[in-house]
Amino acid sequence: MTIMMLITLFVFVMTYIFIIMEWMNKMLAAMIGGFLIVLTGIIHQQDALMAVDWNVIFFLIGMMLVISVLKKTGVFMYIAIRTAKIARGKPIVIMTLMFVITAVLSAFLGSVTTVMILVPIVLLICGELKITPIPFIITMAIASNMGGTATMVGDPPNIMIGSATDYTFMDFLFNLTPPVVIITSVSVAMIWLMYRNKMKVSMQNRARLLSYREDTLITDKKLLLRSSIVLLLMLIALILQSVLKIETATIAMTAGLSLLLMSNRNQVENVLINDVDWVTIFFFIGLFMIVESLVVTGFIDIMAKGIIDASGGRPKTASMLILWLSGALSAIIDNVPFVAAMIPMVQKMSTYINNPTAMHPIWWSLSLGTCLGGNGTLVGASANIVAVGIASRNGFRISFRQFTQIGIIFTFNSLLISSVYLLVRYF
Amino acid sequence: MYLDSFLDARDICVNPDIQNKEQAYSMLVDLICRNHKLPICGEDLLQRLLQRDAEAPTAYPSGIAIPHIRMDDFDDILVAMMFLPQPLMFGTTKVSWVVLIITDKTSSKIYLNLVAALMALSKDTASVQALTTAEDAHAAFSIIKKLGISIKIDLYVADIMNINTVTIPPEATLRELIRLMGMHSLAGLPVVDETGLFVGEVNILSLLKVGIPEYLTRMDNLDFLVSFEPLERLLEQQDELQVKDIMTLQPIILKPETSIMEAVSEMIKHDKRYMSVVKDNKLMGVVTAKDIFHKVIQA
Repeated sequence: MTIMMLITLFVFVMTYIFIIMEWMNKMLAAMIGGFLIVLTGIIHQQDALMAVDWNVIFFLIGMMLVISVLKKTGVFMYIAIRTAKIARGKPIVIMTLMFVITAVLSAFLGSVTTVMILVPIVLLICGELKITPIPFIITMAIASNMGGTATMVGDPPNIMIGSATDYTFMDFLFNLTPPVVIITSVSVAMIWLMYRNKMKVSMQNRARLLSYREDTLITDKKLLLRSSIVLLLMLIALILQSVLKIETATIAMTAGLSLLLMSNRNQVENVLINDVDWVTIFFFIGLFMIVESLVVTGFIDIMAKGIIDASGGRPKTASMLILWLSGALSAIIDNVPFVAAMIPMVQKMSTYINNPTAMHPIWWSLSLGTCLGGNGTLVGASANIVAVGIASRNGFRISFRQFTQIGIIFTFNSLLISSVYLLVRYF
Repeated sequence: MYLDSFLDARDICVNPDIQNKEQAYSMLVDLICRNHKLPICGEDLLQRLLQRDAEAPTAYPSGIAIPHIRMDDFDDILVAMMFLPQPLMFGTTKVSWVVLIITDKTSSKIYLNLVAALMALSKDTASVQALTTAEDAHAAFSIIKKLGISIKIDLYVADIMNINTVTIPPEATLRELIRLMGMHSLAGLPVVDETGLFVGEVNILSLLKVGIPEYLTRMDNLDFLVSFEPLERLLEQQDELQVKDIMTLQPIILKPETSIMEAVSEMIKHDKRYMSVVKDNKLMGVVTAKDIFHKVIQA
């Protein structure tokens, strides 16, 4: 092992430890790590910056712009409150419907955004119904991670995988949406069994909920119509991606910028400052730089060889190994830094397996394992941390244990279903 | 800022026909009351002037007398002058120049600097000679203008802050806070413990926040909530919660020696209209944006 490799390993391990232990703001840790590998001469600045996947970066920025305008239309709040009213205030019905809505919205808006919009509304609804919101919040965080797995634009790991490979939006839809639909349906059944008889609501409190006037939420019908059209066009462009030959970042930026133009132009600066999450953006940039040093110094190659050796070079075994390994590790590590390191490794594996068809299930295993593994513990996914954070600010403390007790059941179940799906469909 | 900026030729009187101090004061009072609107005027003002004069003489050996009145409900600095070619005896001091200054209760810094400038000028015999022999008010005014005497106006927070401010201890209940805020119609007040240490601030928004669950602040639009009892939580908890539960710890504060410019810039930067002035953890006073408006902009 050369001195270069030692430095790289040290920077990489230290950065990830700082991120996992939350000793430092994660963006700061990633940025320091990213420039340390340049400063120590492991890679040139030029190469480090070239390693940043700008398709991912601009896709994220574009989606943040789209969401910031869509949020203003009030349509998400409308959907959530309408749902609670359709459920006639019955807690278990609200809970299962919220689970499904969270999953569906997460598939298109991303898990964190969905949780940020829906958790406050659920807190309000539970407050009115005088029932504890804790099971709602935990199951919604779980649903958001499941939904995010279903599409290329859902969870960040999928965007990163999609960008690093040739897979299109439709490939993700064909290969990942079916297992996610199965997993979500089974999970809904599990929730029904777990919470069916646990919550009681008085008629008086129910009446309060039913008096909500959700029709007042959509104040700007014109903006809603326009943004629906832009959203639809964006979806069509993503579906026709292989024909149109337009990359995802360009599609997302086009949608985001047009919505920004259509909404209140005076607020553009506000949107750019407040609604684009620059901390996340720079976190990604730092990670790409650090991971590049692992590629250059040959660590990724060593890891890839290790997986190949452990699986005896059989794609079936490798796929299962990746699925369960990713599931277990991303329960502990934030799934973005995890998948950032895994992507070049799987790419390297393809040079050893040397059979493009055999690589497909391995990529889908990586996605399923990483995204669904996030439900394993409280710190496994950003959506969990955000949901629990909002709850705790409102006086509902959810402990690591409390979350993990429920999360682990759903994760295990998800990975089991994923295994069966992969084995049946691809081998 | 220049001395002549505080002056108006209308408020200058040259070569008056008077015999004593009382007449001089009376004439100046007439002059200033004719030209300006004052809360106290005429005989009342004259009596106050004479009373103050009896307590502490206002004449200085350099031949200038500077009677001064601080007025309530008044936000300005007025200066009226009288030049006497034949000096009068104010007690034992020979006076050839009388300057009446009327200020509000707080702008002491400007007043002191104004006095300092006048004192310096009164020692300049050539200029005083020219002024006392000036043909008319306009001539006297233009002499002063030409002299270009500048007045130091570097104002500090200490010069304009309110000293006798209402404070509340951290252990007070929200009920007491509500009562105090209502009584003095305050939007915010400093929290000071029993040893006199400044511990934080409470404002009307941190009070109202008790009535609004945090999750509601995360929603863009609350119009759908027609039946939500507004602020009922606040009333439920006003006896249980204490000021320390809702106060802002380590708010942005000012030091007494902070400049007014800095104070204004801090207010704008943090969107805060109310600032505690703290020195060595002790509350010295408070400054509001209104104070700056009245005492600096309008002064």
